[in-house]
Amino acid sequence: MKNAKRFILMVLFGLVVFVPGGCSRKDKQSAQITICFAFQDLETEYWVAAHKAITETLRAQNIKVLERNAHQDANRQLEQIRDAIAQEVDGIIMIPQDGESAVTIIGEANKAGIPIGVFNRPPADRSKPALVVVADNERIAEEAVAYMAKAARKLNRKMTPLILVGDLGDQNSIERKSGFYNAVDAHPDLFKKPIEVPTKWDATTTLANLEAALQVEPGVDFLFTSSDFLYPQVKAVLEPLGKWKPIGDADHVILGGLDGDSTAYKLMKEGYVDATGVQDLFFEADAIMDALLEAIEKGQSTPEKWIQDPGFALTQENMAEREMDMWGCRILKDAEAGIEK
Amino acid sequence: MKMRKILLRLPGEVVLSDHSILVLTVLYFLLIWAIYPHMAGRRNLANLFSNVWPLLALVIGQMFVLIVGGIDLSQTSIMAVTSVLGAMVMATRFDPAKFQHNPLWDIVFSEQGGWLAGSAGAVPAAIVFMLAVGIAIGFLNGLAVAKLRMPPFMVTLVGMSFFSGLAIYLTRSENIMHLPDRFIAVGKGAVGPVPSALLIVVSLTVIAFVILNRSVLGRWFYAVGQNIRTARVSGIPTERVIILAYIFSGFCAAVGSILYSARLEAGRPTLGRNLLLDVIGAAVIGSISLFGGKGKVLWAVYGVLFFVVLDNSLNKMPLEFYSIDIIKGCVILMAALLDALRTRIGANQLIPAAGG
Repeated sequence: MKNAKRFILMVLFGLVVFVPGGCSRKDKQSAQITICFAFQDLETEYWVAAHKAITETLRAQNIKVLERNAHQDANRQLEQIRDAIAQEVDGIIMIPQDGESAVTIIGEANKAGIPIGVFNRPPADRSKPALVVVADNERIAEEAVAYMAKAARKLNRKMTPLILVGDLGDQNSIERKSGFYNAVDAHPDLFKKPIEVPTKWDATTTLANLEAALQVEPGVDFLFTSSDFLYPQVKAVLEPLGKWKPIGDADHVILGGLDGDSTAYKLMKEGYVDATGVQDLFFEADAIMDALLEAIEKGQSTPEKWIQDPGFALTQENMAEREMDMWGCRILKDAEAGIEK
Repeated sequence: MKMRKILLRLPGEVVLSDHSILVLTVLYFLLIWAIYPHMAGRRNLANLFSNVWPLLALVIGQMFVLIVGGIDLSQTSIMAVTSVLGAMVMATRFDPAKFQHNPLWDIVFSEQGGWLAGSAGAVPAAIVFMLAVGIAIGFLNGLAVAKLRMPPFMVTLVGMSFFSGLAIYLTRSENIMHLPDRFIAVGKGAVGPVPSALLIVVSLTVIAFVILNRSVLGRWFYAVGQNIRTARVSGIPTERVIILAYIFSGFCAAVGSILYSARLEAGRPTLGRNLLLDVIGAAVIGSISLFGGKGKVLWAVYGVLFFVVLDNSLNKMPLEFYSIDIIKGCVILMAALLDALRTRIGANQLIPAAGG
């Protein structure tokens, strides 16, 4: 054992003394721009499509992209972004775990003088400067639910509305809920008191909570999901109850959501969904990349800009003209075109 | 001839040495440094060590439980529940839009802040409260394992589920912001040039070292982990020893919670949700046995260092995100294989020694 200890000490001493040639090297060896793209996870089609759009566009511009997945852990995301800062990246694009951790992480980037862009999930407050692109969730949700209410009005009966609420730690979720209530409260004669079902943006939780809610109140006939990725759970609960019926059927539940993914598009085409709020994913991805690259080019270390994606509601009425503005429709058609080729 | 013998035995001795993981860490660090020069940059080193301290606090606690032949899967949920309870005591403001429907609104906290918001004693009281809750949960775990003879895996798994759920229930999934600056300084501040997190965790490490290496209690921990029946026959109060191990683990989890909550500047009901693999992984890499009776404070330090250097280095590489997970898994597996190799070489060296 004595030999081993001596050997270890000699090796460590030798390495520390002789190897560190890297010490004198300059960190920046090329003019290539490096951007850290830190995302909280890729659990929905929206995040997957955003990830693809951002990484592919940046790489096509010969920008080095450091991808970091925090697996829904705010502390891990903080550590990953601190590591990126230590690497002296030129800029950071972040999809934060939640608005609160976004504020802390923006502070780290500000302190290091590295421009940071926040994609789609805004910080809890605007105390620290950042580039933020976010959809006008409240207005988009309101527009979609207003169309659903218009469809409900034709049925000449009092409706029992239900909303699948997202994680209330997420500002987007809060705004979508507000948009829903704005539209529902505009028709006090049409709606009973809405039922709120928490989902925490989790498919399993949604399934369990929605099943429980419909056992208590089986008369639900108007349902808004705060995110399109929960449609499979909605179908799984409604179908056994005989309530998964297309528009025009007496048992049809008026359905709507928000995001604009390919599932929502298919369900609208098949006539199950009445309306869905659409975030313009490609606009948002382009906007955050353009703003960040402009800040890097101008040498701005703490740029501040709040970019809003106006979005729109795709309804059964305007579908023929506007479906190609829906990102879910476009990626679906692109995929189909790829298969045909 | 003598030199040849020494050279032949050297690899085995190096692998068997207490410091082999440190050697591996240094070699790996230097390799990465050669490729990514900023690996040894001042900012990166500061960053790297700031990631070491809270994780080390958790691994030290986990080590005590592993030494007595148990496991504590509830550590991360202790972090979550202590994080939100501490924040409820000291937060300076609560957003009514998020919290007014909380059952504790206007009872424990209100728009004006937590229970002790604004008072000079808010931060110390919150810290003491967090530590007390950690100790209490550790005591409950220990009681169930030692007195009720329930399997540690089951007890702490249920504990993990229960306390994670409790943290979410207490906050309705909301993060609690607006923690006092004095609390944030505990995780992010410094005493002179020395980070406060370092001071806290080094103190914890010294305490753990003294308990394990300089006290009778330390010998009892190892004895219970190596053979509980023999320990019982020898007059060691095995039940109390097991309970104490879980209490220390709960205490360390609360220390980790303080450091992580301070660096994230929020009480978070999901704090540490995905940290358990890091804690157990770092302990195993440090050669702390999952079968009990084997583990040293120094090994825990080495295990955490290796784990954090690995994580830090992978973040330097322009890899796609899934490749990082795959590489990390492979490296942990290799470290586990190295541990198995060490055990085999150790056994082979013991047999001739016993024979001759």
